[in-house]
Amino acid sequence: MILEALDGGLLTTVQDAGRPDWTHLGVPVGGPADPWALSVANLLAGNDPADAALELTLVGPRLVAREGGVLGLAGADLGARVVGGRRLEAGRSYRIAAGEELAFDGADGAGHGRALRGARAYVALAGGVDAPRVLGSRSTCLPGGFGGLDGRALRAGDQVRSGPSDRRPAADGLVWPIEDDATADAPRAPVTLRALPGAATGIGSLTGATWRVAAAADRVGVRLEGHDLPPDIGGEALTHGLPWGAIQIPPDGHPIILGPDHQTTGGYRVPAVVISADLPLVGQLRPGDEVRFVETDSDTAVRALRDQRDRLAAGAAALLEAAGWDRLAASAGG
Amino acid sequence: MPERVGEPVIAPFGDAALLVTFGDRADPDLTARAGALARLLDERRPASPAVGRAVPAHATVLVPFDPLAMDATAAAELVRHAVGTMTGASGSDAAGDLIDIPVRYGGSDGPDLEEVAERHGLSAADVIDLHAGARYRVLFLGFAPGFAYLGGLPDAIATPRRLSPRERVPAGSVGIAGEQTGVYPLSMPGGWNLIGRTDAVLFDPLRADPALLKPGSAVRFVPAR
Repeated sequence: MILEALDGGLLTTVQDAGRPDWTHLGVPVGGPADPWALSVANLLAGNDPADAALELTLVGPRLVAREGGVLGLAGADLGARVVGGRRLEAGRSYRIAAGEELAFDGADGAGHGRALRGARAYVALAGGVDAPRVLGSRSTCLPGGFGGLDGRALRAGDQVRSGPSDRRPAADGLVWPIEDDATADAPRAPVTLRALPGAATGIGSLTGATWRVAAAADRVGVRLEGHDLPPDIGGEALTHGLPWGAIQIPPDGHPIILGPDHQTTGGYRVPAVVISADLPLVGQLRPGDEVRFVETDSDTAVRALRDQRDRLAAGAAALLEAAGWDRLAASAGG
Repeated sequence: MPERVGEPVIAPFGDAALLVTFGDRADPDLTARAGALARLLDERRPASPAVGRAVPAHATVLVPFDPLAMDATAAAELVRHAVGTMTGASGSDAAGDLIDIPVRYGGSDGPDLEEVAERHGLSAADVIDLHAGARYRVLFLGFAPGFAYLGGLPDAIATPRRLSPRERVPAGSVGIAGEQTGVYPLSMPGGWNLIGRTDAVLFDPLRADPALLKPGSAVRFVPAR
């Protein structure tokens, strides 16, 4: 399959499992902002869950198929459609014919350019996206300017090709059978994120309030506003390593939830960390969304993550039956 | 061999990492211990694939782990065992190349130079002399690909981070934050006080050895004009 970009969209990147082995050199972990949705898109396309796919942000690209093939869609509904033709829904696989043009310009189909729910959609090409491995990954590292498509976002004229490895005979018409946490809420409902205490005190100052996602929400972090924290909650700390999901409080008092392209170390206080199972929710936050934090414990956090993995495996097994694939269930479990 | 300091504090940092804390200050011996523990944990990763890449800093090591393959207690036990086998590394043990970094100080290359000087009651030339006159040692990398935290900044020009980070700092910018100085390897947001700029390539992902500066390297800044 070959998809040529007529327009790159707001921010379209290639993402696979990222680069967790290079954090000691300051290289961000990278990978999908919504790991659940990347896995679903890949499974629908017959790929391994962590294969390279396209991550679309709020306003997707215009893509024309120079060569047809099957793709899996997941994550936010960005109004995907074949121009002049079918609507393409998240959580399904489709066969795209050569010459068909794909648009992702608004969930109501009227070109308003806003997802109704969620911020990021994933488009997986059967066989994965063909991009060179840099430091062990095909992910676009925007902060480092390498990986994916020359280290930058998709733009007009780029060609995205499917990988050489056709792991399974791609099947269109597949439907993902498991509910997607990150885009399931009603559009206006506050998103509840579960958090654990961090490396500094003060998680209680975050949990009492409803926050609003600021315009500065990207793959590095999601900035929150709407409250003034007590001055002693934020500020400088001795620089230390940071996990994805850490909630950093700079001296100006606006919390930042760190995303996959976050800095590997930081010098601001971190009173809380979002649990791994809720990172997909963070990846789907849009400017203006409301966010609440609730404190949880590590047993609950690990149970939630295990449950998520099990649901992914159950979805993969259902697809296996629907499409008649073998190997799929085993690879989705990991 | 330095005097044996207390056992580090090993605490969960989220559900998928531990933060191992040797102390609460930027101290060469604590940094050496953090670096030594990170190296030891990395050497042991083949035997413990559920443990991720350790990230050392001034006095801490972040130890990621896969919470579905290993619980936090087991991860902490593994760290405690590694700490028990550490030899007495100290800051003066580190040895490496001396790397010269040419810097254009001030002007549009170093927009905060005057402000840093004023803050300390110095002239811009004094700040340059102090910054370029010191020898630095790479403590650890972080913050951005190839960004090295350097120890050895003269106290007289230590300056807190800016209150709100800049949205874009040009690649090669040389900055000061607290008691640290460093070079931005790429164009990125950041809150350091910028005093100059270099053309040196600090990070190239396609080089066999991607980072120019590595823990232990000695570094000198040379005024370029």
